[in-house]
Amino acid sequence: MNFLSDVKFNIQIKKITFCQYQLCVDDKLMVLSFPQLLQLRNKINSLTKPESLEKIIENENYVLLFVADKKHLLFLEIPKLLDLKEEISFCFYNY
Amino acid sequence: MKTAIRKQMTIHPEVMDSLNNQISMEMHASASYLAMASWCDQRELLNSKEFFYKQAEEEREHAMKIFAFINDNGGASISPEIQNVNNDFESLRDIYETSLEQEISVTESIFKIFKQARKEDDFTTEIFLQWFITEQSEEEDKFRSILDIFDLMGDMPLKMIDERLPKD
Repeated sequence: MNFLSDVKFNIQIKKITFCQYQLCVDDKLMVLSFPQLLQLRNKINSLTKPESLEKIIENENYVLLFVADKKHLLFLEIPKLLDLKEEISFCFYNY
Repeated sequence: MKTAIRKQMTIHPEVMDSLNNQISMEMHASASYLAMASWCDQRELLNSKEFFYKQAEEEREHAMKIFAFINDNGGASISPEIQNVNNDFESLRDIYETSLEQEISVTESIFKIFKQARKEDDFTTEIFLQWFITEQSEEEDKFRSILDIFDLMGDMPLKMIDERLPKD
């Protein structure tokens, strides 16, 4: 599994310390506390419900999302939004 | 991430989502009872009015219990958005029948979360929900007994029926 540490993903969540996580979206790095990570998970789950996705596609086709208590703003098109959902699900999958 | 997330939260993340939905359901039930209380209040059905004001409070207490449980166990409780509260009723009996249906759907939803918690080995939630299961069985029984009174009293005037109904 060590070789995976050399692979750079476009969207990645890493644990830095006990209560700090690092979210990397393309070249943007954001440090999140656990409650902020939970909030992001909740927002992404709600945005990726079929009806929400349909609404996004019918309108702007992107979302602007505040992250880490409005410290960062993300521009996410549908594929990236789904990638982020997958990364977050993976992060919580092995609870 | 296995231990990382577990160190932050005692409850399972997906069970937490279901519990948040349950908060929303309880708060919706509370708002719905408030609408029923208002209908009774306007018609001077004093016992029913009091009963539904209390029910509204009780449902809110249930929601708050779950709300605190999620946060106490490292999760994130979400304050729900309450929509589509019905304020139109046909009769007092209709109100109590709707209430029983509402209680049954709340019970069913709790059963589902209980099963989910068991499946995910989330014992903390399982134990927590046991109180709700007992509570729901009492709630359902309460409404069934009231509907029995309606059946027994047949076509008696509404005010007379109301006087024989419990206040809590």
